[in-house]
Amino acid sequence: MASILQNPPARPAARSSGLSIKYILGSIVLLGVIAFVLFSSFQSNAVYYYTLPELYAQQTELVGRTVRVNGPLDKASIANDQKNLVLKFNLVEGGHVLPVVYRGVAPDTMSSGESVVAEGKLDGNGVFQADSILVKCPSKYEKSAEQ
Amino acid sequence: MALLQIAEVGNLTLVLGMVVSLYVIFAAIFSQLKRRPEFLVSAKHGVFVVAGLTTLAVVILEWALLTHQFRFEYVANHVSRNQPAFYTVSALWGGQEGSLLFWVWLLGLFGAAVLIQQANQRKHLVPWVIAFMAFTQTFFFALLVFISSPFVLLPQTPADGVGLNPLLQDPGMFIHPVTQYLGYVGFTVPFAFALAALVTGDLSYDWIRTTRRWALFAWLFLSLGLLFGMRWAYVELGWGGYWGWDPVENAALIPWLTGTAYLHSVMIQEKRGMLKVWNLVLIMLTFLLCILGTFITRSGVIQSVHAFGVSSMGPLFLAYIAAVLVVFAYLMYLRMDKLKEENRLDSFVSREATFLLNNLILLGAAVATLWGTIFPMLSEIFAGKQITVAAPFFNQINGPIFLALIVLMGVCTLIGWRRASPAHLKRNFMPPLLLAVVTTVLLVALGVRDPYGLVAFAAATFVLGTVLLEFYRGIRARMRMYRENAVVAPVQLVNKNRRRYGGYIVHIGVILAVIGIVGSTFFQSELQKNVMPGEAATLGQYTLQFEKLKMTQENNAQVIAADLVVFENGAQVDTLRPLKAYYPAADQMTTEVAVRTTLREDLYVILAGWNDDGSATLKIIINPLVVWLWIGFIVFIVGTLIAMLPDPRHAQVAERVRAEKALVGA
Repeated sequence: MASILQNPPARPAARSSGLSIKYILGSIVLLGVIAFVLFSSFQSNAVYYYTLPELYAQQTELVGRTVRVNGPLDKASIANDQKNLVLKFNLVEGGHVLPVVYRGVAPDTMSSGESVVAEGKLDGNGVFQADSILVKCPSKYEKSAEQ
Repeated sequence: MALLQIAEVGNLTLVLGMVVSLYVIFAAIFSQLKRRPEFLVSAKHGVFVVAGLTTLAVVILEWALLTHQFRFEYVANHVSRNQPAFYTVSALWGGQEGSLLFWVWLLGLFGAAVLIQQANQRKHLVPWVIAFMAFTQTFFFALLVFISSPFVLLPQTPADGVGLNPLLQDPGMFIHPVTQYLGYVGFTVPFAFALAALVTGDLSYDWIRTTRRWALFAWLFLSLGLLFGMRWAYVELGWGGYWGWDPVENAALIPWLTGTAYLHSVMIQEKRGMLKVWNLVLIMLTFLLCILGTFITRSGVIQSVHAFGVSSMGPLFLAYIAAVLVVFAYLMYLRMDKLKEENRLDSFVSREATFLLNNLILLGAAVATLWGTIFPMLSEIFAGKQITVAAPFFNQINGPIFLALIVLMGVCTLIGWRRASPAHLKRNFMPPLLLAVVTTVLLVALGVRDPYGLVAFAAATFVLGTVLLEFYRGIRARMRMYRENAVVAPVQLVNKNRRRYGGYIVHIGVILAVIGIVGSTFFQSELQKNVMPGEAATLGQYTLQFEKLKMTQENNAQVIAADLVVFENGAQVDTLRPLKAYYPAADQMTTEVAVRTTLREDLYVILAGWNDDGSATLKIIINPLVVWLWIGFIVFIVGTLIAMLPDPRHAQVAERVRAEKALVGA
C-alpha cells in the first residue's frame, strides 16, 4: 500500500485526542440505557411463532398466551360474516384442524390465500382468537395484505 | 426467431456488463499501483461502456413490456393486455429481476455522473471510487446473470399475461421504488469516496465536501421513498394507517436514520475537525444498510407485505456485505494514525455536544429497529425457533427515542458552537418554552387529555418556537442592517445562508410531520357498522348516509362501490365512494378507500364488505391532523433542496481556498 500513498495536504498538528473520557462514558451510559429498554421491551413484546403441529404439541401451555401460528388455509371453511365483520376459517395440517376467529375486515387476498399467519391466543375451547392475520398467496409474485 | 435473438442480446448485455465492470476494477487499481495512467483512461471508458450496456438492457426490457412480448417470462408475470400503459412502464421495476436491473442501471448512470462531475479534480481519489463502484456493479450483474435474469423466455407464448399486481397499480407505487432506489444506490457514491480517502490516506474534509451533495441527494430520495411508501400504504393498503413497522418499511427507515446522523456529524468534522472515524463508520453503515434494505425487500427472507418469495440471493448478499466490512475494517486499522481528532469537545453545553447526542439517539433508534426486524431471522437460525415482534415493540422503544430527538432538535438550534453561556441559554429558551406551555394549556382547555399526545405536542411546539425565533432574529437583523423590508428580508436571509436556513426549514417540516403523526396516532377514532340502503352511520361530527351499492366494469377490474353522502353537523359537505375492485387476470381483490381531507382531520372510509340484501359494512375512521404529515414532508423536501443549492458564501470561501492552493502550488 505504501507505493500508492499520496501525501495529503499539510494539516495543523493534531492536538490532544478529541473526546475526553467523560463523554465516552456518558455515551456508553446512554447507549446502555437504550439497550436495557430495548431488551425489556423485547421480552414483553416477543411473540413465538409456531406451525400447526408445533402448536398442538404444546397446546396446554400455550392457552391464553399471545402467539403466532402459521398454517395452510382450508378455503372451503372460510365463513365471512360481512354484517358483523367476523371472519372464521380453518387451518389444516397433518391431521390437525385449527378453527380461527378474526373480528375485523377480511383481507382482500383471503379467497386466493394459500396459508395464513395469525397472531392471537388459543382459547380454552381450542379456537384461535386472532388479533391480526396475514394471508400468504401461492404465486411467486404474491401480494399479501396485512390487516 | 427474432425474439430469441433479442433475449440473447439482453442476456449478452448483462454478461458483457459483468465482464467490463470486472475489468474496470482491475484496470483502475492497476493504474494506481503501477502508475500506468493509460489503464485509468481505459477504466473510465469502461465505466461509460457499462452505463451504455445497462441502458441498452433497460431499453430492451421496456420494449418487451410495452409491446406485450409475453414469451418473456418477466413480461408475462407483470403485464396484461388490458393494463394501462402507465403501469406497464413501471413493471420494469415491479418485479425482482427488473428491479435488480434497475438498480445496476442507476449505479451505471451514477458512475458516469461522478466521472463527468470530477472531470479534472481529485485525481487521486477517483480511481478508487471507480474501482469500488465497479465492484458493486459486478456483484449485481452476477445476481442478474446467474440467478435472476429478466430475459428468460418461456417455452410457449401465453395468450395473455398475469398483469402487474393490482396493489401496485397506483401512482404512488409507480414512483416509490424509483425514489427508494435512487436513495439506496445514491449512497454508493459517498461511501466509494470514503473508501478512496482511506486507501489514499487523504483523510481531510475533502472526501466529505465532494460528496456532500451526493449524500444529500441520496438522503432526499430515501426520504421521498418513505413519503411515497407511507402515502401508498395509507391510500392503497386501506387500514387507516401509514406505517406498520413492516420489515420492508423498517429496511427503508434504518439507513435513513443513520443517514440523518451522518448529515449532522459531518458538520462537526467540517467545523472542528472532530469525529473523523465516526463519519467513516457512519457512511459505511448507511451504505451497507442500503444494501441490506435491498436484500430484505427482494429476497423474502423476512415475512412482510412485500414478500417476493425466498430465493438463493441471500448468501451472495451476505458475502458482499462481509467483503465490504472486512476491507473497510482493514483500511481503518491501516489509517488509524491519520484519523486523529483535531479538537476537543469543549463543553457539554455546545452545539457539537447536541449533534453527538443526536447521533447517539438516531443510532439507538436504528439499532432498536434493526434488532426487531432481523431478530426473527436470527432466532430461527440460532435457536430453531422463530420469535417475532410487532408494532407494539417498535412503538414502545422508538416512541420515547423520537420524542427525545424532537426536544434535542429544539435545544440544538439555540445553542452555539463550542460553548453557550447560562445567560445566553436562558434568553434563548424562554420564548419557545413559554410557547410550549401556553399551547399545552390551550390543548387541555380544548379537551385534549391523552398524556402522551400532550407531551408530544408540547415538544413539537417547543421546537417550532426555537426555529421561528431563529428566523425572527435573523429577519429583524437584516431589516435593521440592510434596511430590507419584511418581504425581502426573509428571502435574503435564506438566500444568503442556504445550508443553515434550509436545514431549519427541514426541521420545520419534521415538526409538522410529527404533529400529523401524533394527531393521527393518539387521537384516532373509528366505527364499524353495517348499513342498509338509506341508513346512516355517525362518527364524531360526521354523518354518512349510505345510498346504494353500484357494480361497474372499469379497465381491467370489476368494481363494487358504495355511494355515500357526507354530512358535517347537519350540512352536506361531500360524497364519498369507497370500493372494492376485482382483477380477474390476477385473481385478486383490492380495496380502495375514500378519504375526505381537511386541515383538521381525515375522514377515512373503507368498504369492508357487502351482502346480498344490498347492505354494506363500512369501517369509518377519523384521523386528526394527518394531512400535516404530508405537508410536513413537502416542507422537508423544499428545505433539503434549498440546502443543496450552491451557497454563495461557501462558494466564496472555496474560491479563496482554491486560489491559495494554486499560489502555494499544492
